[in-house]
Amino acid sequence: MNTSRRRFLQQTAAATGALGGLGLFGNPFVARALADAGNRFFVLLFLDGGNDGLNTVTPIDDGSGTLRADYEHFRTSLRLSTSELLPIGTDPLTGAQLGLHPALTGFKNLYDQGRLAVVQNCGYPAYSLSHDESRRIWQTGQRFNGAGSGWFGRYLEAQGFGPLDIPGVTLDRLVALEFGQSATSIVALKKIKSFGFPYDEGFPDDDTTRRAAFDALYAMAAASLQPQMGILGSTGGATAAASSSYPPLHGLYEADRAGWSAGYEELDTRLASDLREIARIIHGVNQGVPGVAARFFQVSKRGYDTHADQGAGRAGGRHSELHREVGDALELFYNDLADMGLAESVCVLVYSEFNRRIEQNWNGTDHGSQGPVFVIGGGVNGGIYEAHPNISPAALDDKGNTPYTQGPSDPWRSRDMRDIYGTVLKHWLGMSPATILANVLATDSPLLDPTQHWLNPNFDLPFL
Amino acid sequence: MGDENTVLATAEARHFLRRTRFGAKPAEVAALAGRTRGEAADQALGFPVSKKIFGGRYIDETQGQWFKYMTAKTTPGLQEKLVLFLHDHFATSNAMVDSPRFMARQNGLLREYCRQDFRALTKRINRDAAMMEFLDTVRNDKQIPNENYARELLELFTLGVTDLNGNPNYTQADVVQIARAFTGWRYVSSGKAYFDPSRHDTRAKFPLRGDKRIFTEVGGFGPGGREFDDQGEGASEIDRVVDHIFEHRDSDGEVTTARRLAARLIEFFCHGGYAEAAVVKPLATEVVAASGFDVSWNLGALTRAILVHDAFYETAGTAPFGSAEHKSLSWPADYIASTLRLLGLRPHGRWSVIWGGGYRQVSEHAQNMGQSLFEPPSVFGWDWEESWMTSATMLARFQFARDVSTARSGSSTSIFDPARVMDLTLTDGGAIVDAVVDACGVGGLFSGAERDVLIEYLTDGAPAAPVDLSDWDTREGKLRGLVALVLQSPACQLR
Repeated sequence: MNTSRRRFLQQTAAATGALGGLGLFGNPFVARALADAGNRFFVLLFLDGGNDGLNTVTPIDDGSGTLRADYEHFRTSLRLSTSELLPIGTDPLTGAQLGLHPALTGFKNLYDQGRLAVVQNCGYPAYSLSHDESRRIWQTGQRFNGAGSGWFGRYLEAQGFGPLDIPGVTLDRLVALEFGQSATSIVALKKIKSFGFPYDEGFPDDDTTRRAAFDALYAMAAASLQPQMGILGSTGGATAAASSSYPPLHGLYEADRAGWSAGYEELDTRLASDLREIARIIHGVNQGVPGVAARFFQVSKRGYDTHADQGAGRAGGRHSELHREVGDALELFYNDLADMGLAESVCVLVYSEFNRRIEQNWNGTDHGSQGPVFVIGGGVNGGIYEAHPNISPAALDDKGNTPYTQGPSDPWRSRDMRDIYGTVLKHWLGMSPATILANVLATDSPLLDPTQHWLNPNFDLPFL
Repeated sequence: MGDENTVLATAEARHFLRRTRFGAKPAEVAALAGRTRGEAADQALGFPVSKKIFGGRYIDETQGQWFKYMTAKTTPGLQEKLVLFLHDHFATSNAMVDSPRFMARQNGLLREYCRQDFRALTKRINRDAAMMEFLDTVRNDKQIPNENYARELLELFTLGVTDLNGNPNYTQADVVQIARAFTGWRYVSSGKAYFDPSRHDTRAKFPLRGDKRIFTEVGGFGPGGREFDDQGEGASEIDRVVDHIFEHRDSDGEVTTARRLAARLIEFFCHGGYAEAAVVKPLATEVVAASGFDVSWNLGALTRAILVHDAFYETAGTAPFGSAEHKSLSWPADYIASTLRLLGLRPHGRWSVIWGGGYRQVSEHAQNMGQSLFEPPSVFGWDWEESWMTSATMLARFQFARDVSTARSGSSTSIFDPARVMDLTLTDGGAIVDAVVDACGVGGLFSGAERDVLIEYLTDGAPAAPVDLSDWDTREGKLRGLVALVLQSPACQLR
C-alpha cells in the first residue's frame, strides 16, 4: 500500500470514529441495559389487515352466558363448527369452552405446553376502523399525532442505544413503525445471505479503497445537521456495517443447525422463512459473533383483510391458509429456540390492528374493534386471560362492534393494549413502571377515554 | 419572493428538470437556465394527451415496459411523474388483482387523465376493473354491503379521515351508505364495468337501512346532508356519490378534496415538510385558489401553480451539510429511471434485464428498493421520504448502482459506456470527478469535502497526479468505480 492511500484510509477512520464513540460496546448505558434485560429476545409479529378474532378464539359452548348462541347468530356461512374447533381453556368470565381455529394446530400445541397466553378483548379507546390509523395507534401506543416514534422505539431511545448500534431487525424492506425513532439504527433485511456489500467483482483489488471512500461519504452525511442527510448517513452507515457482520450468520446457522433449517424449508412459507432468519440472528448473538447484537425483531404476515372469501375453517380457505402458516411457523420457531436452549429467553407478541365485525358480510367480514393478542415463549404463563368480548346483539355499538369499556365493575371490560406493552417492558425487559409511563407509553386525552383508565395502568398482567 | 416570471439560475433549472423528468442531463440544464419558471412549467406540461397502454403477459414484463417507456427519448417526463403520483394515490396491487392486462389498462387511464379532470378520473376509477377487483366492488352485494371500496374512496382517494384542521370528514354511517351505492357493480371479461340491478341494494328492499343520504353531520351540507339517489336509484348513484364528495367542505369552508389533493401534490413536488397539515394548509389553499382546481379539477393547472411557486424551489439549494433546509429523498422508480436515462441504458429484452452484478430484471431492482410498480404494499400506496431509506432498500440501491456502472459485457444499448457521457481525454482528477458528477445529474450537489473523497479515490490518494483514462485498468476499474460511488453517494439519493 502506498503512503497516500494509507493517509486516505486514516482520514476515513477518523471521520467514522466521530460516531464510533457512541457504539454499542463503548456505551455504558447500553451495557447496563443489556445486563438488566438478561439474555432476552423479543419478537413482534403483526397480522396485517385485521385478524378475525372471533374466528380465531371461538366459543364452543355458552358457559353461563350466550356466547355460542350469539356467535351462531352472527356467523352463518363463516361459522366454525364445535367439532372442528381445537379446544383450549374456558372463558374466565362465562366459563364457556373456547377453541382455536382448526388451522392453528401450532398454537394448540404451544398452548398445551403452557407456552401460549391468549389475552382476549384487547384494544384502545375510541377505536378506529381505518387500517392506517388503527395500525399506527397500535404501533405508537398512542393516538397518532403525526410523530414518527413507535412504542418500542421509545424503549430503545430510553435504553441509550446510539446510531451505530443495531439493536433491532425488521424482516421487511421497511422499518416497522413500532421501532420508529431517530436515536439508533434498525436494520431492515429480507435475507441475511444476500446482505453483503456490492463490490465490483471485476476489480477486487479496488474493494478496500472503494469501501473506504463509501464509508467516508456516509460518515460525513451522518454528521450532517440536515435531517435527510443525517438519515441517509446513519442508515447507510449501519447498512454497510451490517453488510459485513450479518451475511456470515447464514453459514454459521447452516453449519450448526442444518436439521432445523430443513424444517423451515419444509414448511416453505414466507413467515417460516422470515422466522428462520430471526433464528439465525439469535443463534449468532448467542454464539457471540462480533458486530451482531440485535435482540428485538419485527415481522409481518400480510393478507388478513378478509372482506371477502374468508372461508371459515375450510382447508384451503383464505383465513385457514393464513392461520396455518402462522401457527406452524411459530411452533417450529419456538421449538428451534428451545433446542438452542433459549426457550426461556424469547418472547413473541402476536397482534393485529383490529378485530373484524361481529356480523359477517356476504362471505367475509368488515373492520371491527377489540380482539385477541397472543404471547408465546418459555417464560410465558400460558392460559386464557380477560373475558371474551361480549357479542350479544344488545351489547354491540351502532357500528356493530364491541365497544371499548373500562368500567371497573363491568365484567366484560376491555384490556388496553398499552397494559400489555407495559407488562412486556416491565416484566420481560426489566424497565421501571415510572420510566414506562413517563417515556414510553403516553397518556390519553380524557376526551377519548371518559373512564380515564389510563391514569391507572396495569403493568403486572399475569401472563409474564 | 418569486413568481412565474422569475428567471431560472442553473441550480434551479437542474432542480426543475430532476423533479419533472427523470434526471437532468447537463445539456438540458444549460438549455433551460435563463428561461422563466412559467416557461419551464408550460414546456413540461405541454404534452398531448396520451393513451399509451402497456402489454405484457406477466406483471414483471409490464413493469419493465413502464421503465423503458419512462426513459424513452420521446416520453414526456412530467407525464410519467404524474402517472406515478396517481398510481400511488389510487394504489392498486396486482398481488390481489392478478391481471397484468387490467393493471396496464388502469395505468393507461391514469396517463390519459394525468393533466386533466381529477373528478372525472375518480368516476372512471369507480368503474376500473383492477380497482373493482382490488377493493372488493365485485364482491359487494345487496344482502350485506361490503364497505371496503367505500371507505378507501373517502379515506384515501378523496377526503381523507380528517381535514387540514384536524376535524373528521365523514362518519361510519357515511361509509355504510356509500357501500350501498356500489352494490351490484361487476365487469365482463374484457374489463368493462356493468351494473347488475338484481344485486343492487334498493330502498324498497331494505327500508331499515335508511335513506341513501350522506354527510348529515360533516361536510357543510347542513343536517339534511346529500342524497345520492336524487337522480334515481341505480347506476347513477356512484357518480352522484363522487359529485357530493367533491362538494364536501372543510370546517373552514374550503373544498376538502381539492385542498387535500393539492397538499399531496405539493408534498410530491416539494418535500416531506409539507406532510404536516398545519404547514401545508396555507400553501394548499393558495395553489387551489390560484389554479381554480376546486372548480375545474384540472390537474395540469394545479401542477403548474405548484411548479411556479417559491415552495417548489425551496429544495433547489446546494448546501448539503450543516444546513437545516429541507431536502427530499428520491423515489426508487425515479432513482432507477433517472440513472438509466442519464447513463444512456436501456434494460435488455422482454424481461428488461440490467446487466452486471446480479443480472436482475429492472422490476426486481425496483422491488428490492421498496417500490414494485403495480404492486404497492397496500391501498395506502407507498410511504415517502425517509421511509424509502432502510438498510434493505439502500443496499438494493447500492447493488443497482454497482450493476449498471460495472457491467462490461452485454448488449451494447444495455451496458454503460463512459465515452457516451463524458470526455475521456480529461486528465485532471478534479475535472474527471466533476464530469462524472455532472453526467449523473447531481452537479453542484456535492460539498468540497465529498468531492475530495472522490478525487482521493480516483487518484489512489495522489490528487495532483494526472489520471490516464486511456489506461484500461484506470478506465474500467477506477472510472466505473467512481460512477458507482457517485450513484451510491448520499447526495445522489436526494431528489
